[in-house]
Order: sequence, then C-alpha cells, then structure tokens
Amino acid sequence: MNTPKIVSFEGQPRDPVPVPLARADELGIEQVLDADGLPSGNRPDPDLDRDLVVRMYETMVQVAALDRIGWQLQRSGRMEFWIPSRGQEASHVASTAALEPSDWIFLADREPGSFIWRGASLTRMFAQFFGREAEPLKGRRLPLLLGDRSLNIVPCTTQVGSYIPHAAGAAWAAKLRGDSTRVIVYFGDGATSRGEFHSALNFAGIHHPPVVFLCQNNGWAVSTPNDRQTASPTFAEKADAYAVRRVRVDGNDPLAVYAVTAEALAAMPEQGATLIETVTYRLGFHTSSDNPDLYRRDDEVAGWRQWDPLDRTRKYLEHRGWWTDDDEQRLNETAERDIKAAIKEAEQLPKAAPESQFDDVFERSTWMLDEQRSRLLEDYSQGGPR
Amino acid sequence: MSVEMTVLQATTAAMARAMQDDSSVVLMGEDVGVAGGIFRATQGLQQRFGDQRVIDTPLDEKGIVAHAIGMALYGLRPIAEIQFSGFIHDAFEQIMFCGTKYRWITGGEYTCPLVVRAPSFGGIKGGFWHSQSPEAYFVHGGGMKVVCPSTSDDAYRLLLAAIADPDPVLVLEAVPLYRTLSGPVDDDGVAAEIGQAEVVRAGDDVTIVTYGPPRHLALKAAEEMAEREQISIEVIDLRSLVPWDREAVSASVRRTGRLVVLHEGPQTLGFGTEIVAAVQEHDFGYLHCPIQRIAGHDMPYGFSIGDEHYRPNIDRIRAAVRRAMEYQF
Repeated sequence: MNTPKIVSFEGQPRDPVPVPLARADELGIEQVLDADGLPSGNRPDPDLDRDLVVRMYETMVQVAALDRIGWQLQRSGRMEFWIPSRGQEASHVASTAALEPSDWIFLADREPGSFIWRGASLTRMFAQFFGREAEPLKGRRLPLLLGDRSLNIVPCTTQVGSYIPHAAGAAWAAKLRGDSTRVIVYFGDGATSRGEFHSALNFAGIHHPPVVFLCQNNGWAVSTPNDRQTASPTFAEKADAYAVRRVRVDGNDPLAVYAVTAEALAAMPEQGATLIETVTYRLGFHTSSDNPDLYRRDDEVAGWRQWDPLDRTRKYLEHRGWWTDDDEQRLNETAERDIKAAIKEAEQLPKAAPESQFDDVFERSTWMLDEQRSRLLEDYSQGGPR
Repeated sequence: MSVEMTVLQATTAAMARAMQDDSSVVLMGEDVGVAGGIFRATQGLQQRFGDQRVIDTPLDEKGIVAHAIGMALYGLRPIAEIQFSGFIHDAFEQIMFCGTKYRWITGGEYTCPLVVRAPSFGGIKGGFWHSQSPEAYFVHGGGMKVVCPSTSDDAYRLLLAAIADPDPVLVLEAVPLYRTLSGPVDDDGVAAEIGQAEVVRAGDDVTIVTYGPPRHLALKAAEEMAEREQISIEVIDLRSLVPWDREAVSASVRRTGRLVVLHEGPQTLGFGTEIVAAVQEHDFGYLHCPIQRIAGHDMPYGFSIGDEHYRPNIDRIRAAVRRAMEYQF
C-alpha cells in the first residue's frame, strides 16, 4: 500500500530550497568567489588590498565569536536576549567596510560587525547587551539594537523597516546641506513588505538622496520564507518600479559585497540611491526566543554551510598566500580572549538608576514627568511591607 | 508693528519667518509647493525658498513624516504638513514610535526636532475623514508635545515655538478659524512658551477649561450667561496639551470651585479626562460640585455632512454650567 504523499507543508517544515548561490549566473547574483573561495565567479576579483581583506575577515571572525559566546550567555541566563548573526558576517561587514567613517549607518539588528568595524569597544558593546548605563544608549535597548553617535551609527527603531525612510531623509538632508556624507540602511527581506520600504524607494527615485538600501535577504523572516513574503522572483527588482538603481549580490562573498557597495557609492552623484539585495542565510535562530525546527529543515541549513562566508573568505586569503594556520589560530584565540575580557569588565558596570528612565523623553523635562519621577522615588523610599 | 491677519495668514507668516531666519527649516507635504497647500497655508513659500526647501511629496502620510524624521535626525528642522488630521493616522507609528522616541532610545544622542502640522477640528462640513480632533492619541505615548492655537497671534507664536523646539511638536491647527478669525499679529519672530495657558476671560463662579476652536464658543457662552443669568465664567484656553498648564487651571478652580472641561475630541479618554483626574488629585478640597465634561461623542465625527450635533455647541455649554451651579451635595 502506498503511503499518501504529503503535498501540503502545513504543520511541517518546508522542503529545502536549494542554495541560490550555486546558480548565481542564472539568478542574476553578482559573485566573485565560488563555494571554495576561488575567484571564479561571474565578477572579476576586485583585487582589494591584502590589509583590507584581512581586516574584513578578522572582523567577520570576531562577529562569529561574539555570536557564539553571546548565545551561550543568553542560554545560561546571563543575558536577556540574543539576535544571532551567524552566516551574515560578509553581508554587513563588507558593505560597512566600503563606506567612509563619516558616512551614516542605520542598523537593523544582525550587524554587530558594523559596530566592530567602526572601532566600537567590545566592553561598550557588552555593556549594551547587559543593559548597563555606561553605553551610548544608556541600557535602554534590547541586546544588539546598537547605536553610537560617535561612530555615526543610528540604532534601529524596533518596528521592522520603519526606519528605512529615516535613512533616505537623512541622506537628503546631507545633500541639501552640501555635505559629503552618504548613508547606508540595513534591513531584512521581511522589511520589504512594510509600507516604509516603498515610501523610501519612491522618495529616493524622485529625489536621488545618497543612500544605499541594503536588504539582507537571509531567506527567512522568522518562519516566513521568501516565497511567502513576495511573489517577486527577487527583492532587488522591487527597485525597478521606483526607478532606483539595484543590484543582487552573493551576500556570503565579502569581495562581491564590497565591490557592489563601492559601485553604489560611486554611482550616487549621477543616480542617487541603490537597492542592494545581499543573498545570504541566517544559519542560527531568528532570536533566542525562536525555534527554527518548527519551520525549516536541517538539510537546508546544511546546504548553506557549504557557502559559509567565513570558510570562503579564509580559503581566498589562503589562495592569495595571505593567511596561514598560525594566523587562523591566533585570530581565534585573540577574538575569544578579547570578548571574554570585555564580558568581565561589562558585567561589573552598574545598571542605570530607575529614575534615569525619565531622562531624554524631552530635552527639557515637563512638570508632568518631574511629578511622576518624584512620586516614584517617594513611593520607593517608603521601603517594604510594614 | 501689528497687522491684522487671519489665522491662516499668521500660520503662513510664522513659516516664512522661520524659513527666512533659519536655513535648516524645510517644509514638506502634499501640494505644499506651487499650489501652496490645499488650505494655501504655504502659499508663496516655494517661490520664495525653492523646491529644495519646500518639497512636494508623494501622497503618503507615513512617508512624509518618516522622511522628515530622517532630516531632523541629520539636523534639519522639518515641518511636515498633513493635509487633514483625518489622514494623520497612517503616520501614527512614525510619529509616536519613531520620531518621538529617538531621543530616549539613543540616550539623547540623536534628536528629532520635527514639527507636524495637522489641520484639525470640525465645523467645515467635511465629514468624518476631513474633520478630526485626534489630540488624545498623541498626548499618551510620551515624547510628543501637542499645541492647539486658536487665535491669529497664537497660530503665529506657537508655530514658531514648535519649529524652535528641540523635540517633536504636533500643531493641531484650527481649520474652521483659518479664514473666519483674524487678529493683530506683530511679525517679530518671537515664539510663545509652550505650556502656558491663557485666561481669556476672568470670572468668579465657574471655570471653563478648553482649547482649540471651542474657546470661542466658551467665550460667547460666558458673555451671554453673565448678562442673562448673572453667572460669572472664567475661560481658560490651554493652548498646549503637552505640557499643559495645570497651575493656571488649579489657581482658577481654587477660586471658583466649579470646573467645566470642554473639547471637540471624543469624551472617553479625551484630554478632559486628564484634566478631571489631575484636578481631583490636586484640588479636591476646593470643589463645590462634580466636574462637568463637554466633549465630542464616542463615535465617528458627526453624521451626514454636518457635525453640529457632534461637536460641543452653546446649548451644551449652558447646560453644563447650570448643572455645575445648581448642584446640591
């Protein structure tokens, strides 16, 4: 007797979608490196400086170490929450690397490497993860919703994609002022369904602000796969409706990501904005509150591990003769050691006092807030039960 | 030197003055450019300041506000015009969960000196979508200042104050007064202080606290009842809801012992509710009678085209004042 074939995926994880990076030409994905890190893709090797590629790789390894250790901290109860970035290191590190330090970055939440690239101290980052006062955001945001004005990094407003037009507006303001500042904004595939994505692209098509819209298509918006997010074959082509320049790139290939980002920046004076879709994959959970076993299969994840950005970059470095096993070992040891030292330091830092929540609602507080603050302190000063 | 201006002319004058004095002030909205806005509040400004500073936007309220927020983060002082406050709700998340939160979520690192101008209130035979008194939504979430000018001078000075303010300010403009009310305005560039009420009329028996167009209705009722019923009514126009001037209200209520709150927005959790709660908390022992509320009803803004039975009218004000005066413990 034949077992009935399950034709619906309802209630079951979906059948794996083959890794699109293996069909880059056919799918219009710009690619330098093949799965083994050899520059045999459809784009020539941009021939970046050794130091630049090494630094990108080092940052990517630091991000992966941060992600591994951060996850452990969350699982062992030392941190409230975690947003994994494993698999997306090249997509964000290489695009950030293509910018000038004076360019503004609007982050989403899987880009700790942008922070590290700009020189953020690991201790300040862990202070943010632990909700300590001594970090730029005063411990008010969930771990990984990072921002720091001294680094020209704006933290996300948490509603997915709501901040995309903020980046376009800031870019337009920079242009109006005659500044050389450019802007990049990171968001995911899910964000392209939000009205703000369309508002921003529409505005950008009309006004040509110097902004890069960087859509990190990591395959999944929590449990929603690409083909349930949109019927468009790609996210990049949504730019066509708004007459915005666009490109689709292998997001696990730092050389390709760097090159297309640099081209987008170079195109700004003539063409304004570019929408870049980096085709990448979230190897980990959506967040520490997720369970991907419910919606996707291990063999899909295994396919993507063959295209791991860390492995491909290391192999490229080795191929160029720029990297040895000793370098690798030293990097891994240093990354882990630095992170553990930062954790130790950050855990000692004090949390913000409860009344500090009343700060920064307005530049000048109102009597209403002052009164609520006094009442809170008065109530607390009475102590426990009588 | 003062010249007579309609509320609309005063609004335009404030924007022209701010744009002339500060090159970081930009204006954006639907049809604000060559058309001068559907109410003509921005008439002549694009011709004067160029299409880079007076920006005609696509028909997209959330986009207007969201791009203005980005400009504000970068250091400009954008004024976003929403054509009618009935259309503002598309931008609600941008206003209440983005623009008004940047300062707090970034520990003061990024700020958003944004002005949202929203032509509001009924009495224009515009039906539900064109007539709204949406202040209650915006006073609730933190980080938003809300002002409601209802004279030419206030329209000028509160808008200047909103533009100069380092935080987001919502200006609920009085559409029914745009062309029907005028008064002297000195175009001197001096901003009002946000948060100060005006005692429009002094009185001893009852305090009416209001804001927006009903201020003029309250004043009319007060004059009439003084003459015909010998009831002395004090009228206070709050002018600003966040922050609001509790001190002025308290000083008046402690003298009169009777309070009527009056506004166009729906009654349940309307701004009057906050006034009532604050007064009972702060001035309980001074009250001679329960506080009376006159508000819009908990329903769409009026039925059919007219909204005269939805908005507070003079009959309802008279009745509320009498209820307060005649109350026996």
